[in-house]
Amino acid sequence: MSKQPERGILSDSDLKKPLNRVVYGLMVFGILVMIVTMLYPILMTMFNGLKTNQEVNTFPPHFFPETWNWSNFKEGWEYIDLPMFLKNTLFVFVGNLVMTIFVLGLASFSISRLKVPYHRAIYFFILMTLFIPASSYMIPNFVNLKDLGLLNTFWAFWLPAGASAYYFLLMKNFFDGIHPEIFEAARIDGASEINSYIRIAVPLSVPIFATLAIFIFSGAWNDWFWPSLVLHSEEKYTLATAIYKYVINARSMDNSIKFAILFMVMVPPIFVFLVFQRFIMRSVSLSAVKG
Amino acid sequence: MGEPGLVRQPASESQSSKRRGVFKKHFWGYMFLLPAVVIFILFLWVPIAKGALYSFYEIDFVNGNTFVGLDNYVRVFHDPDVWTAIKNTLYYMLLTVIIGFWVPIVASIAISELRRFQGFARIAAYLPFVVPGVVLYGMWRWMYDPVGPINGLLSSLGVDPVSFISDSRWSMVAIVFMETWQQFGSAMLIYLAGVLSIPRDWYEAAEIDGAGVWSRIRHITLPSMRSLIILMFILQVIGTSQAYQSQLALLDGGPNNATLTYALLIVKYAFTRLDYGTATALGMLMFIVLSLVGLLQYKLNKEEYER
Repeated sequence: MSKQPERGILSDSDLKKPLNRVVYGLMVFGILVMIVTMLYPILMTMFNGLKTNQEVNTFPPHFFPETWNWSNFKEGWEYIDLPMFLKNTLFVFVGNLVMTIFVLGLASFSISRLKVPYHRAIYFFILMTLFIPASSYMIPNFVNLKDLGLLNTFWAFWLPAGASAYYFLLMKNFFDGIHPEIFEAARIDGASEINSYIRIAVPLSVPIFATLAIFIFSGAWNDWFWPSLVLHSEEKYTLATAIYKYVINARSMDNSIKFAILFMVMVPPIFVFLVFQRFIMRSVSLSAVKG
Repeated sequence: MGEPGLVRQPASESQSSKRRGVFKKHFWGYMFLLPAVVIFILFLWVPIAKGALYSFYEIDFVNGNTFVGLDNYVRVFHDPDVWTAIKNTLYYMLLTVIIGFWVPIVASIAISELRRFQGFARIAAYLPFVVPGVVLYGMWRWMYDPVGPINGLLSSLGVDPVSFISDSRWSMVAIVFMETWQQFGSAMLIYLAGVLSIPRDWYEAAEIDGAGVWSRIRHITLPSMRSLIILMFILQVIGTSQAYQSQLALLDGGPNNATLTYALLIVKYAFTRLDYGTATALGMLMFIVLSLVGLLQYKLNKEEYER
């Protein structure tokens, strides 16, 4: 991209024509409207969490709070046992991540580097599952977990976390990109396969593990439906499930407290996104290019 | 394939006496694959096989399953809710195309033309995508509330308030609008990568040949994005045909079944009516239809390559 001339579809001389200037101005205005539309609901949630309940319910609504009631956040924190649900979500996240890196990391390393006989058949066996629509086997999946006696345990998340063909593909593509000479040198020096995985592949794979960690984090943080089916006891609910059951579906609850809780739940993923935004947005575009 | 440093077995070595040697040589290769193969069988292939099997059974967790032949499928075809659900799903898919599909394409072209603040516009467009689902539902329930911000805006314009969620004419539109708000940013980034990868000299050359701005977009930008647009369209069709979460969380399929989609009906058969057999049969039917769509995509892709 660096060698290309400094222009897009429009060149500088286009922008000197009055009609183009007007259209360009309208386009910029359109983007501004879009940005406001994107940010408004997010900021509204934050500011509503700071208003008094009475002020939230006034019509027509106004954007900024008249008084800043920080105590809403304290009340929201105590409304349901947020720390416990948070702990469960982090528990699911860490288990899923470890499982993904262990199971899929080893498997993709083997497919990419070790090339055992019939590795193409095994590769095909794993990739085939990408084409099977998830909701068509959602119910048998649930029944299967019940048959295995995994309902209401975190193993119902951890073990199936190792069955993601998409993450497998991401890691395999990454390992394919590492220079084979490195592994060849290690092999000549007498390193075993285990050693060359732990000592060479894993340290080189920090970027792909970070990408996976972000994906798995957002999965564990956002998924409310599947945990609400699999988990029965309240002390095991993940954060999103608990919010769905006790906040979204709450009949009598102060709107201001509700918004304070929603805001607190929204902050960690937004924070993660803003910190890693370059990294995340690059992997979003890459995932499309690779298909 | 064929990379340097790759050790291959010469064909002459594959005698039965060497078999053990081959296995020993590849022992760790197979051990590395073993956990994944076990997990994939246990948590993907077994459920998929059970899906095919259970659709002919009545599932009873207490007394055991009984074979009922095609009863589940017969029930599916006699349930008027199934036809409502199919109609709603098609309506939902149509709305996502009308309201949502073109937005990221237009936005990506527009944002690519920004000379300044392009990074900020990208971040702002992508930000809703990281908002968790449950927060999204709470947020937009309020946006759509009779005393919420959208009706506040409408009343200041002198329009009568609309109850977007409880009015069955608006409920599906409201869901699609909400989901477009959340999801278009990620599609936009994918298109943007496509737009920015078009060589700038093409525009330069077209401009010298006298092509206007619009004809540059029409004859250079859009054709270059063609295969990406087709791919995204198919992915959207596959994705939206299985949608149920927003419909379930915001409206529970109501008002008056107006947002009861096919996948939501599967969920309801299983967890409200506790009829897992029929739910599985519905899942199998969905699997058959979507595989046909997948085959179509594969065929289109092949034609694309052969052109």
